[in-house]
Amino acid sequence: MTNRRKLEISCLQLGLERRHQRVLTDINCTFKPYELTAVVGPNGAGKSSLLQCLAGVLVPSGGRIELDGLPAEQVSAAERARFGAYLPQSETPAWSLRAADLVALGLLPWGRPRDREARVSAALQLVDAQPLAERPVTQLSGGELRRVQLARLLVGEAPLLIADEPTAALDIRHQLQLMQNFRSQADAGKTVVLALHDLSLAARYCDRILLLQDGRLRAQGTPEDVFTPPLIGDVYGVSCEFRWRNGVADFVPLDLL
Amino acid sequence: MKSDNLALSLLCAALPLALLAALASGPVAVDLGAALREGWRGDSSDAVILWQLRLPRALLAILVGAALGLGGAAMQGMLRNPLAEPALLGVSSGAALAAILLLYYGSALRAGWGAAWQSGWLLPALAIAGAFCAVACVWLLAGRGASASRLVLAGVAINAFLSALMALALNYAPSMFAMQEIVFWLLGSLANRGWDQLLLALPFVLVGGLLLYCARNYLRALSLGEASAASLGFRGHRYPLLVLLGIASAVGAAVAVAGTIGFVGLVVPHLMRPLVNQDPGRLLWSSALAGALLLLLADIVVINFVGAQELRIGAVTAFIGAPFFFWLIVSARRGQQL
Repeated sequence: MTNRRKLEISCLQLGLERRHQRVLTDINCTFKPYELTAVVGPNGAGKSSLLQCLAGVLVPSGGRIELDGLPAEQVSAAERARFGAYLPQSETPAWSLRAADLVALGLLPWGRPRDREARVSAALQLVDAQPLAERPVTQLSGGELRRVQLARLLVGEAPLLIADEPTAALDIRHQLQLMQNFRSQADAGKTVVLALHDLSLAARYCDRILLLQDGRLRAQGTPEDVFTPPLIGDVYGVSCEFRWRNGVADFVPLDLL
Repeated sequence: MKSDNLALSLLCAALPLALLAALASGPVAVDLGAALREGWRGDSSDAVILWQLRLPRALLAILVGAALGLGGAAMQGMLRNPLAEPALLGVSSGAALAAILLLYYGSALRAGWGAAWQSGWLLPALAIAGAFCAVACVWLLAGRGASASRLVLAGVAINAFLSALMALALNYAPSMFAMQEIVFWLLGSLANRGWDQLLLALPFVLVGGLLLYCARNYLRALSLGEASAASLGFRGHRYPLLVLLGIASAVGAAVAVAGTIGFVGLVVPHLMRPLVNQDPGRLLWSSALAGALLLLLADIVVINFVGAQELRIGAVTAFIGAPFFFWLIVSARRGQQL
């Protein structure tokens, strides 16, 4: 059993078809350690599908995914789970588990580590959810549940973290806290990929932006490169403005185009 | 947490006590101590009653109850639905249909297969085969990479078809006697079962239990949903197949030797879930334990019931099961859950 600290994951001409519909076409990109990448794009652009391909939940129908240069098909499902942790856009727990037990599920790929409880409470601490540890998850509010699920994502040792709209349902304090968390995870050497709708947060915290449109990669690069009013206007169909103040980006959508 | 573990330990302790009670119950008073001392090969009437009648029946109740509880817990875990029960996948009706067909054509077979018929293993063996056939049909109908909901739909469809065949068989039963035999078999019973049936079912239940034990972490991961379970390493059709085969093996064998006994697979996991912090993994063995206890207690009721007809254990479990649902609804109304 290999435990990697760092992981580079690449998509090579990745294509995906679901129910005879083309969802992703010809995606070429690489996600590196120390990098926090935001995948952005309008609804239905293929963000979630791309993330699921990266997480190994969906199997691409064309092209391939490489983990540190190794084709993903050659990696067993169990090992893949130790490479990357994934949080879907909506995850409804079937049973009213205690929050701490739900977080501990994130450790399943590593069996039953001895310091399980310590890790769980550390992960809960990271998302400011320690007081929720004993609460049944069905009694949590949407935002509280989301934080507990994020703790589940962070509890393992996977070098790759993938989260689909992690900030949805969170209040502004927890949005900032969450992005800071992902930032420090990336600074510590993890490869972090997030699907985001909030372009201000994406511009402020992420190193790299992937802009998807209709299942194709429209642009990738630094926030300054990608977030230009003409490009965003073309992809989203809105006129907009980016204001940069002391490194904090402020995205203002102005009107429909 | 402490009180939950206490409740589980009490259940563990209650099982041997219930076993003793079951051994002591019956129409004839038996000197248990003397019969036990006399041992397995004793030939006094007390020893024969204890070793050849009561002990295998009580052990069979434990085995069947454990299989049904385990199957229910696995089924609810896999389908992420607290209303699922093993019968949903057609396991029980597959076993039942095979058994009915045998009872139906029994008189013809009795001549040719006299020896096998007499030893009492032919019917359960066929019923187990029927259970596996039903699950194979469900699996094929649902197709590769089927989601839980498609599996349920396939199960419901196969189940409905098998029920239709059963209705047809009843409709055209060759004689009143055959019909009565079929109906009683469908109600489930542990009466007149011996070591043969116990030893036939035991390996299947053990293998089924083992398969489900191997799938426990899959069931845990599945409490987060299928996508999250896949990302935790439980990808592909290997794990659902493991669960299906486990259920078919354990529940199929249970139905084969005892007939269709309802409600245990549905109710027991419900009762146990709060005691194991809703953990679908620990729910497996605790439901097996509670199922064993419940069926043993139900059988004690059956044994001690005095009436012209034998009281069928399926009726007793239904009487325990239905009020449980009343209670569930009332408590949900009070707590405004559900």
